[in-house]
Amino acid sequence: MKHKLHAILTLLLAFVVQFTFAQEKTVTGTVTDDQGLPLPGVNVIVQGTNNGVQTDFDGKYDISVAAGRKLVFSYVGFATQTVTVGASNVIDIALDVDAAALDEVLVVGYGATSRELSTSAVSTVSSEEIETFVPSTSVDNILQGKAAGVQVTAANGRPGQTAFVQIRGIGSVNAGSTPLYVVDGTPVDQSFINNLNPSDIQSFSVLKDAATVSKYGSRGANGVVVITTKQGRSGEARIVFRSSLGSGSKIDDLNFEMMDAAQKLEYERQLAELGVTDAQSLPGFTANPDQLELLRSYDTDWQQELLRNSYIQSNSLSISGGDEKLSYFLSLGYDKNSGIIDRIDGFERISTRLNTTYQAKDWLEIGANISLARSTTDLPRDRNNVQNPFVAMYSYNPYEPLYSRDAQGDIVREDDGSPVFNPTTQGFPIARALQTEPEDNRNFLILGSLHADIQLSDKFSNRFTVGATSNRYNRTTRSIAGGVLNSIVGNADFPGSQTDNYELDFQYNVNNLFTYADSFDDVHNLSASFLLEYNENIYTDLFASSRGFPSPNIPYQEVAAEATSAGSEEERNILFSQGLFVDYNFDSKYILSGSIRRDGSSRFGPDNKYGYFYSGSAAWNIANEDFMEGSVFGDLKLRASYGTAGNQNIGDFNFLNLLQFNTYNGSTTAIPIGVGNPNIQWESQAILDIGVEYSIFNNRISGVVDYFKKSSQDLLLNRPISQTVGDENNSILSNIGEIQNSGVEVSLNVNVIRNANITWTVGGNAAFLDNEVKELVNGEDIINGTTILREGEEINTFYLPRYAGVNPANGQPLFLDSDGNLTSEYSDSYQTIIDGKSPQADFEGGFFTSIKYKGFGLRGDFVFKKGNYVLNYQKSDGVAISNVNQNLYVEAFNYWKEPGDQNVLPSPLYQANADQTTTRFLESGDYMRLRNLTIDYNIPSGFAERMGIDTFRIFATGQNLLTFTNFTGDPEIGIGSEETIAPEDEGFVAGEFSLYSYPQTKSYTVGFEIGF
Amino acid sequence: MKNYIKFLSLSFISLVLFSCDDEINDLEPFTEGNPETFFNSEASFQNGVDGVYSQLFNYYASTTEYNAEAGYQTIPDILADNVILATTGRRSNEVYYDWQYVPNTGGAISLYWSEAYEAVNAANLIIGQINNLPEGDVKDNILGQALAARAFAHFDLVRIYAKIPTQSEDANSSLGVVYVKVEDGDTGDPYAEPARETVESNYAEIISDLERAAELIGASNGEGRLDRDAVYAILSRVYLYNGDYQNVIDAANEVSEPIATAEELPGVYTDATNTGVIVEWSVNTSSESTFSNIGVAYSQTTGETVRSEYVADYEFINSVDTSDVRHDVLTYVGVNSGNQYNAVKKFLGEEGQNNGLVDVKVLRAAEVVLNKSEAQYRLGMETEALETLNELRDKRLDSYEGGEAGEELLNTILSQRRIELAFEGHRFFDIKRMGDAIVRSNNGDILDGSGTPPQELTLPAGNFRFQFPIPQAEINANSNIEQNPGY
Repeated sequence: MKHKLHAILTLLLAFVVQFTFAQEKTVTGTVTDDQGLPLPGVNVIVQGTNNGVQTDFDGKYDISVAAGRKLVFSYVGFATQTVTVGASNVIDIALDVDAAALDEVLVVGYGATSRELSTSAVSTVSSEEIETFVPSTSVDNILQGKAAGVQVTAANGRPGQTAFVQIRGIGSVNAGSTPLYVVDGTPVDQSFINNLNPSDIQSFSVLKDAATVSKYGSRGANGVVVITTKQGRSGEARIVFRSSLGSGSKIDDLNFEMMDAAQKLEYERQLAELGVTDAQSLPGFTANPDQLELLRSYDTDWQQELLRNSYIQSNSLSISGGDEKLSYFLSLGYDKNSGIIDRIDGFERISTRLNTTYQAKDWLEIGANISLARSTTDLPRDRNNVQNPFVAMYSYNPYEPLYSRDAQGDIVREDDGSPVFNPTTQGFPIARALQTEPEDNRNFLILGSLHADIQLSDKFSNRFTVGATSNRYNRTTRSIAGGVLNSIVGNADFPGSQTDNYELDFQYNVNNLFTYADSFDDVHNLSASFLLEYNENIYTDLFASSRGFPSPNIPYQEVAAEATSAGSEEERNILFSQGLFVDYNFDSKYILSGSIRRDGSSRFGPDNKYGYFYSGSAAWNIANEDFMEGSVFGDLKLRASYGTAGNQNIGDFNFLNLLQFNTYNGSTTAIPIGVGNPNIQWESQAILDIGVEYSIFNNRISGVVDYFKKSSQDLLLNRPISQTVGDENNSILSNIGEIQNSGVEVSLNVNVIRNANITWTVGGNAAFLDNEVKELVNGEDIINGTTILREGEEINTFYLPRYAGVNPANGQPLFLDSDGNLTSEYSDSYQTIIDGKSPQADFEGGFFTSIKYKGFGLRGDFVFKKGNYVLNYQKSDGVAISNVNQNLYVEAFNYWKEPGDQNVLPSPLYQANADQTTTRFLESGDYMRLRNLTIDYNIPSGFAERMGIDTFRIFATGQNLLTFTNFTGDPEIGIGSEETIAPEDEGFVAGEFSLYSYPQTKSYTVGFEIGF
Repeated sequence: MKNYIKFLSLSFISLVLFSCDDEINDLEPFTEGNPETFFNSEASFQNGVDGVYSQLFNYYASTTEYNAEAGYQTIPDILADNVILATTGRRSNEVYYDWQYVPNTGGAISLYWSEAYEAVNAANLIIGQINNLPEGDVKDNILGQALAARAFAHFDLVRIYAKIPTQSEDANSSLGVVYVKVEDGDTGDPYAEPARETVESNYAEIISDLERAAELIGASNGEGRLDRDAVYAILSRVYLYNGDYQNVIDAANEVSEPIATAEELPGVYTDATNTGVIVEWSVNTSSESTFSNIGVAYSQTTGETVRSEYVADYEFINSVDTSDVRHDVLTYVGVNSGNQYNAVKKFLGEEGQNNGLVDVKVLRAAEVVLNKSEAQYRLGMETEALETLNELRDKRLDSYEGGEAGEELLNTILSQRRIELAFEGHRFFDIKRMGDAIVRSNNGDILDGSGTPPQELTLPAGNFRFQFPIPQAEINANSNIEQNPGY
């Protein structure tokens, strides 16, 4: 009750202030360049406020503003101008060409500011850069290599799969490292981001330091990605249609080759003769010459049989425009990517959006952004056995054909004449299973927000926003009667089974931002905002399973003989926050900002529900000082920030002891599922950031350098407990850890050539990252399979037995024991921390080069990563002696054969030790990849006009065309194998190991864009 | 006026938002219960007891949690000499079959330790709150079931992670497991790091819990639950392992369930009948069709193909007379990759099924008879031992010579035991408790004994691998726990 009183008093105080209502009026005008040509898209902002508009296609704008206030006109590549509003209602402006990169509008937490007045480390990605990457089925993939300190790893190559986005390293172990996504002011769950249409996005702002993320309090610790969608501009309706078609394929196996039929049979023979018993029952040893001849003739390329070239299609249409009072942006998008697995459908998305604003009164603007998107995808199983086609294509033997053959080599047929898919030695015909075990997923996402901007006076304004996201997820999984799985685990009396899942994620967010902005003596500019925000997540689900289907063509449980199980669930969590944000600047030279936010969360026990998060930041625009007049610097700014943010991405009710209900022999069971910890509270982060922003030689060269140090404290770690306690997870969640990330981020943009006909720009960004585990439970290691958390070491450093090569005398594999002594014995207890080798890169980023000559453009984007290591289980499988009954890498032939052999694999006679998971399969994951190469051509505007259109562009894009790496296989790994460990599972480490998740693809796309 | 409205609307919005604190405080779990208040009626206590059984089912039938078919019903056969690895299988559990397990081997080693203690914890939760029920038969029956289940889970732990009293001279004084009893204040501290007790004290507590349960438990609690017969049957096994032979006989005499007849026996394994089944962990194959398919540890069937993981050892299956009803209960001919195998028939599924989903057969009347016969023999009561043995043989064989005595009688008791209980999780313990070596035949995996023989043929008597290692995770979390020698 006490805190409630406090809050109400604060609010009342705010109302006591005497309001003065100045006369607002509408100012209009045209903005041109120094040649008199209209400039569309110029930002016009009332100084010291968040009130701003952009000029339309003809350079025209209108804005409501009180006389005496200042309007700031800014546009990339032009000098910013500030004009005081006088008696006239028309203000025409001609902007001078000047380097002024720092003047762009920055969308930051709860509002916007100009880059000049920002005290924060923010990276932005503009619509222009986004468009280069269209079609990309998930927008988060676009961020890769685009923003310094933002580490993006494609989770895998499945169409529609979201990416792993990490801002400034891993800030948590169990509470997630995914940043908060905010779309038009409304938080959106990361897993729904793939249902946004990239063509609708105006910009990404990635908030990285305390000055901005603190404003998001308990959800800001992992950084915030603010996505702003496009708005209409006043003027005639503008219609843009874009269409592209393309095809993708699996990136060729890098640095290894699979055996062909003859090689594999020969390998089996060699091992059998050596005395490897497993090989002695295989055809390479047992088959007679005729049979061998037949087997060799099959020579199946399983990648060919199970994969295909994908079909990629993307169409989008947008119509936007507006008048003095109304603006609208309407779009429709369609994307299809069939994926590279043959015999299933892939990903498809239809989306639509309407963004509107309306000036209802001179003091009231209302607006609504609504987007609907439906996507469908079939999820092939991502698991480490041949139920996953990407396992099957490597493990099926090349002497086994797609269809079963009889002894004569003739195809075996079903009674109906259709060929029988070969279960192969692996006993599972995946090509058939993909058809008999279909899984179909449908997502329907509604994303909407409504806002009302109330201009109470020239000094007071209020913005009220209600946003909601609602995602309906439906999944249908079936085992068709007579299909592969149904005949193994199904019930013969009830052929066919089906499960339908229905999940509804509903989140709504209500916030109110009350702002006071004022200027004193023309040089003191002050603004203060008071935030109230309420956020609730409601999740419900429902599922039902049945068995006994009359026909595989009726995938509805209505027709099933018997319902087998059903269930429903609900989960909720609530966050309630108050915040105060204050910004001050002196003549745009010295800038100070501060924020404080209080969050209350339902996820913590009665004594720990509330947390406070604060920040303070300052900047000095040196370039604005008189003494800098005439220097080469167009911009030069020093800034620093420090503050805190929190993380609460843990499950609900971890503070309670709970009972779980299930069934046993059809009766209800009640089982204790875990020991709660009433003391858990927020993870907190303290972030320090110091940065320099500069541009020199008329903006020819511009860049940003940031140093940051992020201490993540009170990490929620699972403190392992004795299993004799009988806890379900054998651990208790406790606030015990500390991790520190620090690093330097650099970004640079250079206009190498800039004249009327040709421009050549190169740019890039890189982050140098360092991290260290500072504190764990009682200083004890947390071992997580093959990685370890140990104080003083890098987070998730590999923890493996050390391999020491092959004894040249006898071919025995050698290891180092715990004390570092060479031994031929193997023991799991030889696991040792592998210093400095972890799945985290030390250095990563991206760079681009872009040349424009008249209407032609050529742009290449590269991404790179260095210093990370990957445990290559795929390679381990590919050379494992015990896998002699499946296909292997050609490299497997290179085993020890006679004394003196060096640089060889262990002798197959030492199978048990040789196949162990050791540092032998720990490989450097360094790589550089040509992510994107685009060639385009814009027809000259004169020609376009004659055809009655504004713009016409044709383009061709290639993605992932080149990869440079020494890694065996594809080094770009996010998920190793989703059914082994999924991103939402505890202990998941992105990029830790390779294990047959959907591979990355390369693709070629051609398309056009027409605007009129 | 205009401003007044603006203020009003603004205040309204703010006040709505300010009233949200209660929402945060009032949220409660939606689908979970509160363990402190839930147990307050017979029904809720029975839910709790059924929860304990479900934990036992979990580690007997294996669970997907540890991604292996590592069930307690099947692993003890895979560890011993009744089965042989089929090279055309998926080679699951091979590290167990080859006796190469170490403290952080996944599957059975982590499964049993973790799940059995979860069963113990669930049982203790009930025992600790039992006084919420009024005095009477209902309370006694609940308490009896919980005590018996707790004892049984501890028994499963101690016989696999520690020595068996009759196994060797030092067994009783060697390291046992942690016996967790709510009555002794062993529960409640999640950060407790208990040390291992001795085998002797473990058996004493198991027997004490079971004897107390026998006094309390009801005569019949329905399928899948423990009752009076079950407790005495379990006692007959525990006493046998503990070398209390007279007690074995006494306990066996308390068991009323008859042995399944030759006609009934095949139906026992397809759940057509429960005759002779005293302890089983049951599964409702309709509503629980996604539960662990216990039989998958031995084989998976697709159409005509039987993909066996483990098949019957050639020498063993040929030691069973073809006229013995058990020959065809044990095996059938399974075809995979053009090879024929002595595929395991037990646990293939219910009548007409081959999905491996079937009740777990934990203890049958036949075992009680065999326990009793062996105990009688060891007490020198050969005539009685033979008589008891013949109770079983009469129901299995059309004719037999009989009349064995001395060493031959013991061997017959043991070979009948091996045949009767094969593939049901006994063989490893029966070898272990006598301190013998595991010696596999050198035959191959194919029907006629050709094919690939086992990689490892012998586990010498006294080898440290007769005791599973304590899981590495426990060693890491509990500084007072001592690892078994050899690991």
